[in-house]
Amino acid sequence: MNKHIFRHEFLTRLKSVAIWSFSLTLLIAFFFALFPVFADQAALMNEFLSRYPKELRIAFGLDRMDLSTVLGFFSFLFLFVQLCVAIQAGNYGFGLVSIEESELTADFLLSKPVSRSQVMTSKLLAAFASLTVTAGVVWLVTFVSIALFRGEREYDLGTLVMLLFSVTLFQLFFMSVGLCISLLVKRVRSVTPYSLGLGFGCYVMSAFSGIFGQVALELITPFKHFDPAYIIEHNAYDLPLVLLNLGITLAALGVSYWRYIRRDIPAVS
Amino acid sequence: MNIFLRELKANFKSLIIWSVIVILLIFMAVTKFSAFASDPETAKMLDSMPQPLLKALNMHAFNLTTVEGFYGIMFIYFALMAAIAAAMWGSDMISKEERDKTVEFSLVLPVSRSRVITAKALAALVNCVAFVLITWGVSLVAVQSYNPGKTFYDFLTLEMLSMFLLELIFLALGLLLGCAMKQYKLAGSTAVGIILVTYFMSIISSMQENLDFLKYFTPFKYYDAGELFRKNSLDGGFLLLTAVIILVCLAGSYWIYNKRDLYI
Repeated sequence: MNKHIFRHEFLTRLKSVAIWSFSLTLLIAFFFALFPVFADQAALMNEFLSRYPKELRIAFGLDRMDLSTVLGFFSFLFLFVQLCVAIQAGNYGFGLVSIEESELTADFLLSKPVSRSQVMTSKLLAAFASLTVTAGVVWLVTFVSIALFRGEREYDLGTLVMLLFSVTLFQLFFMSVGLCISLLVKRVRSVTPYSLGLGFGCYVMSAFSGIFGQVALELITPFKHFDPAYIIEHNAYDLPLVLLNLGITLAALGVSYWRYIRRDIPAVS
Repeated sequence: MNIFLRELKANFKSLIIWSVIVILLIFMAVTKFSAFASDPETAKMLDSMPQPLLKALNMHAFNLTTVEGFYGIMFIYFALMAAIAAAMWGSDMISKEERDKTVEFSLVLPVSRSRVITAKALAALVNCVAFVLITWGVSLVAVQSYNPGKTFYDFLTLEMLSMFLLELIFLALGLLLGCAMKQYKLAGSTAVGIILVTYFMSIISSMQENLDFLKYFTPFKYYDAGELFRKNSLDGGFLLLTAVIILVCLAGSYWIYNKRDLYI
């Protein structure tokens, strides 16, 4: 860990963190502002719904559409928060070390008296700190909007905290997988297409397994590892899937270190 | 012409990757669809569901047991992928010259900046057309075993046309961003931001009646699968809006790029 690298990395990301946090704030606040109207209509809808067979409700993802409760509504908008967070974390992961090569600053950095693993650790910690700032904003905004818009409705604080905490694990997953992929390919020219592909790919896969019932896809996509509907229903994480998620994150980090230390980094000619 | 060919070649790999993704998506979906196909039980249950619920899920227009209905649900995924692909191609083609430090080279060639944009835009357009055609072709092959009728072919044509128009909107937008952003790095991310925001808006506006006006701001709503299915034609007003957006973006791109200070 090198504090100069850490500080530099953290400061260059500050603006991006501000933009992402601002957009997430808008997203959460705007959706929650709709909540009071929705909750009234949703109560009616739930009544209708309860008359239909359970299999059908699950197949169409209706079991998670209880929009009349605070948490049910939150789980609906949480999906979009997850999508944004995934893309942001993917961005940071893919760009973490590849940006030095595409901007031709790798020789400058690597001629400094720090080992490559130190460079990597400092960069990782800086990116993680930036992501944590964003996660903090999400926590704050969520609590404020719930307090403002929930009216008289009750909710379970423990479950909410669990949902919000999953954001951090989610970020770690996309950051390390992004980093790992960026070190497996020959050259990352531009970060956005990669992180978009990863983020949206996982999102579409999870939406898919939602429409078409149980598929093995849930093993691959982190959107299913931290499925808000599951967390709310059981008041707990889906432990095997969360462990799988953590396993993938750690494996990706390990491979990244291993690849980066051995990587042939082209010098500026 | 040389720039055009060069760009086509450079973006060929990206086209292949996108096509593979869309092909996988279609085949995965069609396999899953086999569980619903002409299952009278599902149809009966869907019929007995309350209207407001179906509306919230955008399923009021679709009967999931038919191929048409199934493709109606699929449309938003095609639209999303087409939008991202087109916006990426558009913004990347312009901004990559600055990123890869090749802009000096291409602009000292004896061609005007306008011609550079035209060649690049055409190359991106060819990619978009190819992407739609691949989606179309693969869809036709994939659903053959369900013996789709004329309704399906008509609806698919309409869907693919909408997908192409969506691509055009986001391609023009991507080009504009690529030409206009001073910091080349921001072009791609801004395009993504716009796609995300408009996608969320399209979801919100279908959920809430009094937010209906939002549909004018999000291209995903210009070509809403449910509306397409019901009316069986494209909405004239939205077509006009599409044309205006595309023209404004293109004009802006040429105008800005011609007088821009490039980062070397």
